[in-house]
Amino acid sequence: MTTPSALPALAVQNLSRRFSGVQALDNVSFDVLPGEVHALVGENGAGKSTLINMLAGVLAPSSGAIEVNGKRVTFPTPASAQRAGVGVIFQEFNLLPQLSVAENIYLNREPRRGFVIDWPELYRRASAVIKTLEIDINPRTPVQELPVAQQQLVEIARALSMDPRVIIMDEPTAALSEREVDRLLYLVKTLAARGVGVIYVSHRLNEVFTVANRISVLRDGRHILTAPASEMTEDSVVAAMVGRELLHTERPTRHPGQVVLSVQNMAVEDSVKNVSFDLRAGEVIGLAGLMGSGCTQVLEALFGLRPITAGTVTMAGQPLSLGAPRQAQHARIGFVPEDRKRAGILPDLSVVNNFSIAVLDRITRLLFLSRRREGALMTTYRDKLHMRYSNAGQLISSLSGGNQQKVILARSLAQDCRVLLLSEPTRGVDVGAKAEIYALIDDLVAEGMAVLLQSSELPEVLRLSDRCIVFAGGRPQGELDGAAMDQPAIMHLATGLAAEQGPPAPEIIT
Amino acid sequence: MNPATLGRNFITSAWRSYRMAFVVLAVGILLSFFAPHFLRAENLINVLTNASVVAIVGLGMTLAIASGNFDLSVGATAAFASVVSLSMVPHYGVFIAVLMGLVVGAIVGFCNGIIITELRVPAFIATLGTLTIVRGFSLIYTQGHDITLFGDTGYKVLSGGRVLGIPAPIILALGITLVLAAVLKYTPFGRHTLAIGSNAAAARKAGVRVNPVLWGVFAIVGATAALTGMIVSAQVLTANGRLDTGLELQAIAVVVIGGTSLAGGQATLVGTLLGSVLITMLNNGLNLLNVPDSYQLLTVGVLLLLAVALEVTRGLDLRKLLRIGTTA
Repeated sequence: MTTPSALPALAVQNLSRRFSGVQALDNVSFDVLPGEVHALVGENGAGKSTLINMLAGVLAPSSGAIEVNGKRVTFPTPASAQRAGVGVIFQEFNLLPQLSVAENIYLNREPRRGFVIDWPELYRRASAVIKTLEIDINPRTPVQELPVAQQQLVEIARALSMDPRVIIMDEPTAALSEREVDRLLYLVKTLAARGVGVIYVSHRLNEVFTVANRISVLRDGRHILTAPASEMTEDSVVAAMVGRELLHTERPTRHPGQVVLSVQNMAVEDSVKNVSFDLRAGEVIGLAGLMGSGCTQVLEALFGLRPITAGTVTMAGQPLSLGAPRQAQHARIGFVPEDRKRAGILPDLSVVNNFSIAVLDRITRLLFLSRRREGALMTTYRDKLHMRYSNAGQLISSLSGGNQQKVILARSLAQDCRVLLLSEPTRGVDVGAKAEIYALIDDLVAEGMAVLLQSSELPEVLRLSDRCIVFAGGRPQGELDGAAMDQPAIMHLATGLAAEQGPPAPEIIT
Repeated sequence: MNPATLGRNFITSAWRSYRMAFVVLAVGILLSFFAPHFLRAENLINVLTNASVVAIVGLGMTLAIASGNFDLSVGATAAFASVVSLSMVPHYGVFIAVLMGLVVGAIVGFCNGIIITELRVPAFIATLGTLTIVRGFSLIYTQGHDITLFGDTGYKVLSGGRVLGIPAPIILALGITLVLAAVLKYTPFGRHTLAIGSNAAAARKAGVRVNPVLWGVFAIVGATAALTGMIVSAQVLTANGRLDTGLELQAIAVVVIGGTSLAGGQATLVGTLLGSVLITMLNNGLNLLNVPDSYQLLTVGVLLLLAVALEVTRGLDLRKLLRIGTTA
């Protein structure tokens, strides 16, 4: 690879990164040649973001080396990465919406005349950069007035204006429609044709195979393989991405009963459509899909957090109107939100107060809370969920992630719910707590609980669900169960491979 | 655990729980050395009475801050409630007049709550707006004149009445502290208030009806502001539209100095009482020492900055502190 004629534009050797005990990236080596599009794929948590952040100068590696054009470099700051010729286009745009396109492109590098900005020169240079992208954007337009796809192009223009040797694109099509995607892929090829090395990070395998010369797969922080795209198939890439072992315990045999929650043709806002399923008591349905596929919205809508714009939801035959969480709770639907820190815990409140917040009316006698009843209820659930804390009055923020999650779970269970909506139930908890939470869910389901589960971890979906509905672009792509439900099958549906035979993939609205 | 660690733990935990009480005590002792008149019973009662007047609106403000909001309109609300109340005394008697003053305050507060939750205006802007609007109302209502009560009116009881020799404002402040402490600790409303202040998004997802709780919180703030305003008016038996300007800053100051975090999620009502005592005591002491009024202004400001700076350095999340208001 390192012949003088084709010195890598960027190479990393044995790059590793630990976060307080977790090996996020483990001895990864990989390179991109000038004029090459090198795709980097992997599941959520495979280490792609960690790698990108180190190449962007956002994170420092724990060990390993980075080379640009054969010269060893270190990136203590994002600016140093830019100076070395590494341009990064993050998934989250880093644009200042009120400023013009030109100002954004040359932010912090504005041409000056003495102490003042040379505006005519700024616009001239911005126009020149935009022109190389063969697009039509007025450099004086405030960025917030542009559609998302054009904002994306401004990000690319900014990266290009630094005359980079390498451009890294992190999920660049996540917010784009199909036509915009085609345009972007064409642009990526043009950039490579000019001799820039492109690292293209994406979940979407059809895009990867359209643009990439080589493909590298990361899994669990490790480099699994690198091969020319021509020697790989979508199936072989999927197999490499998901090839990890499942958690050791097996899903027990379930005995589903009556239909509890029936959803017919439900639409959520403008983003999710055509959702239908019958959830039975003693059954777990998994919702699987990549980021932005709409699974989370389905759960939030069923808890009254997002408006349901079409279709019907019935609970044991009774139609439900779900305008607010309160109504969902009255219908005995419980919800464990995805982001524990942002939407779950009340950090200034004690363990017991966090637990009881949703059931205060049940422990209130004549206007006043009964602390005795509150404590007794807490103790019941502490034993049932094996929570570990030294006293119920301590702040919830002092507990481990796993125990915090159990408190949030207990909060829903205490409401006597018949349907439990679980969003990422084990995100950020350690392996031991994860196994305990799985066992707990098994117990609840055995007692007749109906569970709707959304998780970005496929092994989790497979471990817990009796059947699984796969989403992409806000639409259910298919339902899998029994032997047909495995990781490659889910990934096929989730990455839209199966949709190629069907109607065109719909536009994703984020 | 050996005796030395036990002792150290006892001291640190006592300091944490009673920090404000220690500070108040220390300042009191210092003042009694430098200003001999400070310790006279008459002067002490005077200090506690004046502290109670500020404390009453501070107690309401404590709830607002605990819910992650605050209320800049309390001074204007106090003035409006006072002019309405005083103007009613000749027609309806003292009891109805005071009651109506409280109702007016609660209604203004309720409107603040509606503007913040339903119109989604951040508390800072919403109450800045109502501050001016309500001031305007008072001036229109009084046509710019003073409203004065003559003769031997029962209204004086609010400021000058005594129970067992204790002045009415002190009784009221202690009573409100007890009631609000019970509300915070033992009612669903109080628990919801703290939950919203701690993490409004999470509270909502746990099924807390955030908006009605905030209407209640602001109504309470309005009622306490009205009471403070009426006590101040009762002291001089006069009210006008310009009464109680700057009360909002005093009210927020005593809450923060008392140890309630501006980030929301927790509250110390006793801290607010002690914060009021501390400020009033310092001003009183400086008076006794013949320090000019203009210098006394400095003390509140410096205390406020110190209190917040200490709060921040104790590891409070700055980003949370900078979040202004809570919209559901």
